[in-house]
Amino acid sequence: MTLLSILPSIVLALLCIAYVFWTQKKQHAPRAQSQLDHLRERKDVIYENLRDLNFEYRAGKYPAEDYNEQRNALENEAATVLARIAELEGHTAKTASVR
Amino acid sequence: MPHPMPSLGSFSLMLALALSAYALLAGTLSLWSTAKGRPLAVSSAQLGETSRRAGIATFWCVSVAAFALVWAAFSNDYSVDYVLHHTNRDLIPVYKFSALWSGQEGSLLLWAWLLATYGFVMRLRHKVDVALTAYASTILAAIQLFFLLLLVFAAPPFAIVPGGIAPKDGFGLNPLLQYPEMVIHPPMLYLGYVGFSIPFAFALGALMMRYPGEKWIHITRRWTMVTWLFLTCGICLGMHWAYAVLGWGGYWGWDPVENASLMPWLAATAFLHSVMMQEKRGMMKGWNVWLIFITFMLSILGTLLTRAGLVSSVHAFAQSSIGDWFVGFLLLVAVVCLFTFFLQRDHLVADNKLESLVSRESSFLFNNLILLAACFTVLWGTLFPVLSEYVQGSKVTMGAPFYNKVAVPIGLGLLFLTGVGPLLAWRATSLRSIRRNFVLPCLSILVMAGSLIATGLRPWEEDDPTSSLYSLVCFSLSAGVITAIVTEFLRGAAVVRTQTGKNLLASTLLLTRRNTRRYGGYIIHFGIVVMFIGLAGAAFNQSKEMEMHFGDSVQIGSWKLVCNSYSQDTNANYDTDYALMDVFHNGKKITQLAPERRFYTASQQTSTVVAIHSTLSRDLYVVFEGRNPQTDRPILKVFLNPLVNWIWIGVLIVILGTAIALVPSLTPSRAPVALPAKAPPAETPAFTAVTAQAKNAAGPSHA
Repeated sequence: MTLLSILPSIVLALLCIAYVFWTQKKQHAPRAQSQLDHLRERKDVIYENLRDLNFEYRAGKYPAEDYNEQRNALENEAATVLARIAELEGHTAKTASVR
Repeated sequence: MPHPMPSLGSFSLMLALALSAYALLAGTLSLWSTAKGRPLAVSSAQLGETSRRAGIATFWCVSVAAFALVWAAFSNDYSVDYVLHHTNRDLIPVYKFSALWSGQEGSLLLWAWLLATYGFVMRLRHKVDVALTAYASTILAAIQLFFLLLLVFAAPPFAIVPGGIAPKDGFGLNPLLQYPEMVIHPPMLYLGYVGFSIPFAFALGALMMRYPGEKWIHITRRWTMVTWLFLTCGICLGMHWAYAVLGWGGYWGWDPVENASLMPWLAATAFLHSVMMQEKRGMMKGWNVWLIFITFMLSILGTLLTRAGLVSSVHAFAQSSIGDWFVGFLLLVAVVCLFTFFLQRDHLVADNKLESLVSRESSFLFNNLILLAACFTVLWGTLFPVLSEYVQGSKVTMGAPFYNKVAVPIGLGLLFLTGVGPLLAWRATSLRSIRRNFVLPCLSILVMAGSLIATGLRPWEEDDPTSSLYSLVCFSLSAGVITAIVTEFLRGAAVVRTQTGKNLLASTLLLTRRNTRRYGGYIIHFGIVVMFIGLAGAAFNQSKEMEMHFGDSVQIGSWKLVCNSYSQDTNANYDTDYALMDVFHNGKKITQLAPERRFYTASQQTSTVVAIHSTLSRDLYVVFEGRNPQTDRPILKVFLNPLVNWIWIGVLIVILGTAIALVPSLTPSRAPVALPAKAPPAETPAFTAVTAQAKNAAGPSHA
């Protein structure tokens, strides 16, 4: 190794060490995805499915009987998820008020 | 005085190795501390942050190493063994650059650099989900560590030539690689292979941390699609290179290295389809996790086949003994995946079940089964020489007939599902719905089949009835699938037109913008159909081989080629032997072709440069095979290959479709939508509750 290669190598190593270990004022602490987050995502997906179904029905892809059947199933799924969200939100609010 | 860059490159790799090891160790400790709630001497968040930053710093170090190797190639530093063996002074700059991936060590460095680049982007975007990215970053650091260990200990790219005295000139680049597409084909393929590390890391991380919900799929969806696109482009560029350079008249020879790239593509395609079932219905969670695990492992297997010389291939430009490292790594990955899966399998319980065999879900399931059957067939055929040698002591190679026998019916099955899938409803499809949606596509299939039979495509009259039958089925199914796709666009556009009053074209564009994923997907399907039409043309290929003197002619189909002259030329890099052929079609001169045969002085190797006259209906493909030693006259082989251009056009459509699918859809709130003209059918009690919230939360219908 020559001086010409040693010098940039040392500079590179020092820069890397400084970058890795330099203390940051702002830290992004990991926040775990909660069950409530998951249910809210699920709710959005079901709404999206409902929108898709409405659109496909209007496009003439499904007969009215099929559309009703599909929509009922999706609505029931959404109702279950909404009820679960309300339950969890109520529980969270109760816990917060106790604190 | 030796150049400083190779030493700097070598040092950078060692530094990158240390940083990856740190990223893995610190990341693991931080995740363990958070998961178990056990405090460390430093806060786990701080430790995790240093791990993330070490991953980012790894990118800078590997970049310096890659730059140092390119620098060594451009400065003709033949003290570096790799540069000596893969370049020479007269090599044009663009091929000196591509020398970075033309050999074992260089291509491993490219793998490591691409992985570091993907990791760099992922770590910069960590705020998307800090906890999940921390897992993915640590898993990625482990993969990075493996490749850096290889580069530092098994295949160092900066090794000095034995004796340390640099020769005056290098041995040159393999002539087969001196072709413009070879400058972009390997990086594209590697971008595909390496890119699957990201969804793999997210999937494994999500499973390890028992991530609730499907958000990890949303996070990785674009990564997977971009990676799939790169792999598609890489495979197709490879096909075009094989077609234009190898001079055997075809584009796909079921070579082990071609197969190596096809296997992860098949698995990833299966994943991209089945993941929709998880997103929409919370189904097939375990299946999807395994699909992405398998895709990643097949990418590693692909690299092993390409770079370690496990099987012999015209494409394997580097061979060495790093195979044991890869086998060890593959086994380790498989063990980690299996262990994590069994530990967390209760987390992967499906939210819903398959309700009917005639539904969108079942079409995805069949699509997956067919794709995986294709993947297994290709894997079996590719590894059969290795297995047969292990069991019998002699290598038995599977040729193209084996693959064609299995792959063609599988391909036709996929083509069928491409048309059927989008027409089926989620959950269950009634007979009424089938009648409504399938009449037009079925009619198209029948009309196309009838027209083809009427115009002369009669398998029972052909020499090779099987090929002709397959082509007839392929063309007919293609007509049906195209009809299905066009119908989907027209139906959707009609709704938008009713709502907005725009013309049909503007409505179609707006429709696509409002749901880019769905309509981009349809465009991809259309591209695949166009490719299938091109592939089916191979059943009608013709060829002729002859020795030609001045004025000699050869007739093939309605085309006539006349040998105008043949000559020789030379430049610093190679000597050329070429023939000038006048091309006539129905008696009218169309063009002049000049097929070549080159002799590269540095590497002492020959290669062909095929001359192709390409039209939408056929390619006239001429190969200069060499000279007859007795007469000194050139021997030329002429091929007439129908519909080849459709394959390349299909690829461009696939690229366009993927690009559209990657663009975020126009959000419903931004989309100017009027209320539906027709009132929906009777409302249920649940609907009243749901729609009240849906109207507030989700806005109006997407189209």
